[in-house]
Amino acid sequence: MPRSRDFRARAAPRRRRASRQNGRRRVAGRALIVVGFALSILTGVVLYFLPAIQVALRDTGQANTSLGGDPQLQPVSASEHLSSTSPFTLLLLGSDSDSKFHGDYLTQSMILTRVDPVNRHVTMLSIPRDLWVRLCNGRNGKIDQAFLHGGAQCAIQTVENDLRVHVDYYAWIGLQGLVSVLDDLGGINVIANNPVMDDYYPADLSGGSPFDYERILVLPGAQHMSGTLALEYVRARHDDAYGDFARSQRQQQILIALRAKTKHISIADIPDLAASLGSDFQTDMSIGQVSGLLPIAGSVPLGAITQVVLLPPYTISEYVGGQDALMPDWALIRPEVAKYFPAAV
Amino acid sequence: MKRTLVIIALMVASCAAANRTLAVLQTHTDTGSLVDTTSPQVILPGTIFVSQEGAIYAIHDRSVGRLALPSGGAWIQPRPLPDGSLLVVRRFDEYSDLYRVSASGKVLNRLTNDGQSSTNGTLQLDHWILWAGVGPDGATVYFATDSPKPAPRQSYEVDFSLWSAPLSGSIAVGDDGVAGGTRWSVPDAYTGGDIEPVPLPDGDLLYASYANSGKGQVQSVLGLQTAPMSRMVSLTSPAQDCGSPAVAADGVTVAMVCSNGGQMADLEVATLEGSTLSAPRVLVANCLCNSPSWSPTGANLLYMDASDVDGNFGLWSIAGATNLHPGSPRRVTDASVDLDATSAAAWVSG
Repeated sequence: MPRSRDFRARAAPRRRRASRQNGRRRVAGRALIVVGFALSILTGVVLYFLPAIQVALRDTGQANTSLGGDPQLQPVSASEHLSSTSPFTLLLLGSDSDSKFHGDYLTQSMILTRVDPVNRHVTMLSIPRDLWVRLCNGRNGKIDQAFLHGGAQCAIQTVENDLRVHVDYYAWIGLQGLVSVLDDLGGINVIANNPVMDDYYPADLSGGSPFDYERILVLPGAQHMSGTLALEYVRARHDDAYGDFARSQRQQQILIALRAKTKHISIADIPDLAASLGSDFQTDMSIGQVSGLLPIAGSVPLGAITQVVLLPPYTISEYVGGQDALMPDWALIRPEVAKYFPAAV
Repeated sequence: MKRTLVIIALMVASCAAANRTLAVLQTHTDTGSLVDTTSPQVILPGTIFVSQEGAIYAIHDRSVGRLALPSGGAWIQPRPLPDGSLLVVRRFDEYSDLYRVSASGKVLNRLTNDGQSSTNGTLQLDHWILWAGVGPDGATVYFATDSPKPAPRQSYEVDFSLWSAPLSGSIAVGDDGVAGGTRWSVPDAYTGGDIEPVPLPDGDLLYASYANSGKGQVQSVLGLQTAPMSRMVSLTSPAQDCGSPAVAADGVTVAMVCSNGGQMADLEVATLEGSTLSAPRVLVANCLCNSPSWSPTGANLLYMDASDVDGNFGLWSIAGATNLHPGSPRRVTDASVDLDATSAAAWVSG
């Protein structure tokens, strides 16, 4: 007993030291595990949101990776419009961004949108791409050239000057971007108004020559559209009694169909969407503002969406400067714009 | 040291697991194939043929089977024939052909050869053939095709017109028309034209006709003709914007889908009284519905609808749809199934 007691007596300090060392090791080990898991979670989160972060950096002026050095708009102040109840305007721009344009893009689609969050009302005005206007550089030309001459900034200035309206934000999307985002959302459900046929549809996204043609047919009626089918629906125009006007109406249809999808999108989905859009998307809205749009878009009832297309007599077809153009009747157009976009200056 | 390595391994494993979990979750958001899902939610008599992602499926009692059709192209728009076989359209990217196949999917004969560009290299010489249906004599097939059309590079016009041709033998669709066929209609240019022919028991032809409103819109009406190239009588107004006609076995009850120019539609039925249509009764309002078709007895109506919260186009049924007080809509297919909404179901007895 004494030996053992002595032994215990001698052994006790070593055990206390060993116990303290083991305790420190256990704590250090546990801390390492916690830090490890925290790091792995953080890494996962960063990787997951990396595309969104890249977009955010780009959109806040930290980087500008697309469209050959367009002047980037000033970053907007933190979601003042979307977090408040004020109506705001958004200029939606769409371009044929395939290889035959070598980065010099026109905007085949321009839709000026006004969102009124309080009254849950949306107005969409399609601006014809052939509209003959004074561009931001002071020259006259088709409005689709504004983006070519000065990117989104010039497109906004041109719209603001000619239509006498204020534009709060813009969003630009290319062909492949539209296909990608629609596919990422699982496609959309649309009621196609009529059989949309085109024997001379540009085969510029199928990998061959961007100058090739293909035949397309979109059947009429309610249906599920993939990104490619939806693009065919909004882009075909050759066999159409109303050409670009009909195309504008179909583009608005797709936007309305997208509204139904926003009910199923959360901010967590935005990174994937941003990644699939890549350089085929540009906006001056922040991710927070885009995510703020989702519940607004999802809550607007179908009957509270006003669609406007500038058919004759608002525009008249003429041959100007060796090309077909639409001459605007500003005396008719501007009062209409002021009515639908009451913040007009 | 060993513990550190274990922790690092755990970190790598957790990242890999998270990545895999994401992939699995993404997979699970896809819609299901018809044969992979549970049995039909509603048991209906006979066999119902539907199209999904280019395949034709037969729904019979509690089972679902895929027809063993040749691969390539999308098999759509099955239509029953009196002998139990089916007319089916095989659609490729730039043309479509009409086939007669057995109920199990064996190709009995190919009726058209519309992929002309495969031999002449000019894709504008290809043709579409769609919405085929057999007439009351059981020997004449009615269809819509984009023939005739201008020679390549002469015009952008390409619209559907209606034709009929003998079911026996081949149907030669060319740029000048259908050899040996009978032309029924001349489409309004640049509108999409005339589609969805439904031959009636008395020999008349009911169809959907698209026309330029002159006010910035293309609208459709249900049209009726008593003979080839005769004057079309409009059964509905352009403002109703109706299409997808389907006639019940009684020969007079017409189901149709009318959008009233909007982004949603109504599924309606009306009675054909000579060359007029009675006031329609709305069976389903404010729906994303399309492609109604009737049961062999004409009592039950099938249609495609994606109005449910999942947004998938399912097959729906309304019992007693010809009655003043029809049953409530019931979903036949599983909620995860997304059918081809532009392809009406074919319902045969037995």
